[in-house]
Amino acid sequence: MRDEAHSRRAAKRLPGFVLAVPAWLWLTVFFVVPFLQIAWFSLGEKPGMFGTHSNAVMSLDRYAEAFSPTFFTIFRATLWMSVLGTIACLLIALPAAYFMAMKVPAHRRGLLVALVMVPYWTSFLIRTIGWKVILSSEGALAGFLTDVGLVADPHDLLNTRGAVLLGLIYNYLPLMILPMYVAFDRVDSALGEASKDLGADRLRTFFQVTLPLARPGIIAGIILVFIPMMGDYVTPAVLGGAKGTMVGSLIASQFLTAQNWALGSAMAVVLILLTMLIVVIAIALMWCVGWLLHRRSKLVIGTVPPPDTRPHTQEVVTA
Amino acid sequence: MSRPSGTNLALGAWTTLVFLFLFAPIIVIGIYSFNGGRLLTAWDGFSLEPFKAIIERPTVRHTVAVSLQTAVIAALLACALGTLAGMATARFPGRWAGPFTLLLLLVSVTPEIVDGIALLPWFVTLGQDWSLLPFNNGYVRLVIGHSLFATAVVTYIVRARLVGLDASLEEASADLYARPVTTFFKVTLPLVGPAVLAGGLLAFTLSLDNTVISSFINVSGTTSWPVYVLSSVRSGLKPEIAAVSTILLVLTLLVLGLVALVLKRSGSSVTDTMAVN
Repeated sequence: MRDEAHSRRAAKRLPGFVLAVPAWLWLTVFFVVPFLQIAWFSLGEKPGMFGTHSNAVMSLDRYAEAFSPTFFTIFRATLWMSVLGTIACLLIALPAAYFMAMKVPAHRRGLLVALVMVPYWTSFLIRTIGWKVILSSEGALAGFLTDVGLVADPHDLLNTRGAVLLGLIYNYLPLMILPMYVAFDRVDSALGEASKDLGADRLRTFFQVTLPLARPGIIAGIILVFIPMMGDYVTPAVLGGAKGTMVGSLIASQFLTAQNWALGSAMAVVLILLTMLIVVIAIALMWCVGWLLHRRSKLVIGTVPPPDTRPHTQEVVTA
Repeated sequence: MSRPSGTNLALGAWTTLVFLFLFAPIIVIGIYSFNGGRLLTAWDGFSLEPFKAIIERPTVRHTVAVSLQTAVIAALLACALGTLAGMATARFPGRWAGPFTLLLLLVSVTPEIVDGIALLPWFVTLGQDWSLLPFNNGYVRLVIGHSLFATAVVTYIVRARLVGLDASLEEASADLYARPVTTFFKVTLPLVGPAVLAGGLLAFTLSLDNTVISSFINVSGTTSWPVYVLSSVRSGLKPEIAAVSTILLVLTLLVLGLVALVLKRSGSSVTDTMAVN
């Protein structure tokens, strides 16, 4: 009886997904459509001195132009810095996240996580300017390093590739620590104890039990760090000067200075596609390495019988 | 707690260094907001001059006002869109939810520079080619630009909150013959209230800090604070920039503390909710 009334009322009601329609429309009009327009512009050209874009003649010429030696050199530098930056973030974050999740008493972990999040929620631009102050030629660090003799000239710190790399590592480090922390936090400590009971030392337990179990968090961290690094535009603008240009700055200059929207659009599309491609390849590589290690350390218990006599008793246990 | 051993001490020392690294530039900005010199990077004695300059210089006050106004409106907008979307994804899952979740994911992972360069031509198309005049207004552009990622964030937080709650209260309300609208306002909204507040406050701080999208869609006259700071990176940074940043940092920390408090009182895990994006 009541179920019948219920379903009759439900039928008269609007379907539930209607609630998501405003957000869906909003994101379509101001996220999807603008991107499609960029993709469309990238097939056009810059008409004359004062126009920004024209699709009168359709061609792939802008893509050929986007792969010019200048763009390619800067793209390679950007890729190199992002890969180095991601690896550095990984190596810095791994021990810290492991310590926070496994060694710190449970009631203090929340505070540490909050402390990691404070810099992340502080203005990105201001934190980068903080590094500009630290690295500036008038700063104490430059003076000290020059006195010690590590640096020849106090102006050598700022406006270099190294400064940009430092800024990138700094700015995205919280995005690597947080997912790794969550991953280590979810690893069941009983598995580590079981590994030790079975005679593995601590190093072997870490590399063969804990680390493989935390792999999803590590992959999430790599994606969260690498993608924004490839598109960063603020860090090189503040710390890099003329020497630290990255692809983001190049694309920005096409839109803001050169007013060549067609070329800028093509560069942006190339950046997105190549970034996605690299991420997919990197993830595939990581899974392959993981699978190979897994295969090597696989343990078969019991004698493997000849296939024709007892085919159903084989038991496989993996380490 | 495992017994202190050499490895654990080394790990602890490393973690301490990581935290020092994370906070170094923030502490430096805090100290340099009392720099009496003419340029930010050159320390020239302790002084309260930078804080006085905020009151005296109209450009600083105007750009901060633009940022604060934009942040409030963008946060309200993101709350409205994200709350509805979060409720839909949590309570009415179906075949539509897959593509919608993918869209939210794309919005969250796309580098800001792509949003910025895509929005600039789109606003020009809307405002100039199609004569939809509101899109030439700097406030409208900033609010739209800031609302995209924020909507995704609010959706995630509201969904996380609702998934953790039993739907039986809403069903009970429907069984007692409350109309869907009444159920929404009397039952569902009070349940998601803390999540909406937390999401809105996060959207506010995100908008306040947004530099990249804002610098592309900027209209002169409605320059936001971060865009003004970025432009003065080229023309010369003044100590009052550090002073304003210190004030905004304290404001952000208060807001974040409030978020943590609200989430804690409403019983959902702070780390889970804030680590979603």
